[in-house]
Amino acid sequence: MSGGSARSLGKGSAPPGPVPEGLIRVYSMRFCPFAKRTLLVLKAKGIGHEVININLKNKPEWFFKKNPFGLVPVLENSQGQVIYESAITCEYLDEAYPGKKLLPDDPYEKACQKMVFELFSKVPPLLLSFLRRQNKEDCSGVKEELHKEFSKLEEVLTNKKTTFFGGSSLSMIDYLIWPWFEWLIALELNECVDHTPNLKLWMEAMMKDPAVSSLFIDPKAFRGFLDLYLQNNLEACDYGL
Amino acid sequence: MTDDATRTLGKGSAPPGPVPEGLIRLYSMRFCPFAHRTRLVLRAKGIRHEVININLRNKPEWYFTKHPFGQIPVLENSKGQLIYESVIACEYLDDAYPGRKLYPYDSYERARQKMLLELFCKVPHLTKECLVTLRCGRGCADLKLALRQEFCNLEEILGYQNTIFFGGDCISMIDYLFWPWFERLDVYGIADCVNHTPALRLWIAAMKQDPTVCALLIDKNIFLGFLNLYFQNNPDAFDYGLSC
Repeated sequence: MSGGSARSLGKGSAPPGPVPEGLIRVYSMRFCPFAKRTLLVLKAKGIGHEVININLKNKPEWFFKKNPFGLVPVLENSQGQVIYESAITCEYLDEAYPGKKLLPDDPYEKACQKMVFELFSKVPPLLLSFLRRQNKEDCSGVKEELHKEFSKLEEVLTNKKTTFFGGSSLSMIDYLIWPWFEWLIALELNECVDHTPNLKLWMEAMMKDPAVSSLFIDPKAFRGFLDLYLQNNLEACDYGL
Repeated sequence: MTDDATRTLGKGSAPPGPVPEGLIRLYSMRFCPFAHRTRLVLRAKGIRHEVININLRNKPEWYFTKHPFGQIPVLENSKGQLIYESVIACEYLDDAYPGRKLYPYDSYERARQKMLLELFCKVPHLTKECLVTLRCGRGCADLKLALRQEFCNLEEILGYQNTIFFGGDCISMIDYLFWPWFERLDVYGIADCVNHTPALRLWIAAMKQDPTVCALLIDKNIFLGFLNLYFQNNPDAFDYGLSC
């Protein structure tokens, strides 16, 4: 994959040229779970793309012209059109590119996926909070809150009686929430899903997906990155290269 | 008189029956800006619907079977399918019903409208905080400054695009999704927050010319009557202005 394992661009770097015809570019960071969503969709749909990694602790000035919020992921196509916000990039790719549709055609089923996405929305900040506190202060409060959020997701699977959040096959919602569960595996925190058996089974099913397994995060590199990132180290984003 | 001019249902009320075929039901409240979004879309697309207003300070027990936290708006169709979160409900209506499409067909233009929605995300909270602060007799200079900053961001978009509406030269979904909070600036007492944003003022004027917006415009005196009762914690606030 072009550029997926390339050093990140930081302050003072030259802005990249236009995107070659036939490709779409994603501005990313190797360990960013939000950017992972976009990478999963690109992979799952077989979309030709190039990756430019951004040093999120030392952002290039030109990057704010791509996204005023200065966040990854950002998509840029050969027409110079820019799309940001991970969920919006994923939906754009599904609509703009042919092949397997990840979002359902049925308006109600599509709405259900978006409602589950809302249900999931507390997990990213909670998980980050939990990881910040580990080995330091008492994190039982955060752990309990995390369990509560996981229980809500468990309920969805229990009610639907399907393996995946969108039905019997893997679809968009599964890819959108996966990156945080990938963290649990990489950090050997599987105990967090001990009380949610359907969620545990879902994780096992996800690991068998070709896109998920080919992009699976390297546990050692991730732990190294996380340590440096939580210390605001400028080199964090390139750990392991 | 709009089609949602009915008394609210509260605790102890009987749950409504199934939704009749050919209709979609909206659980709403006449003064709620989030539900207002959904009412605008229903109207703009000419979708046959019925409205059940919920007493938000005295929610019926049965309402929690429609929404886990008892929030509005919620759509319910004749198959018993429930859709909530105002933005999700609006997109569902645009997808599920024929006729005029409010979201653009082009994938990039669709994505752009969704990115604009992100730019707007602080506005609901800030306008509400201004309202509450003013009603409690405190100054809200800091909040108004923050709100003006958000409006500047939106002004910049209109300037850059050089179009009247946020989606182009015609009104579209994103305009309807923004509108309810701008309609409320005056009655909340913060209309001066658009003093320095001329393109936004032109947009407001253009929106007021839209037939859908006009048809659902809430009478200022009735809104003020609602707000007065609401801030006195009067449970009858939600039915203020209804004739029967």
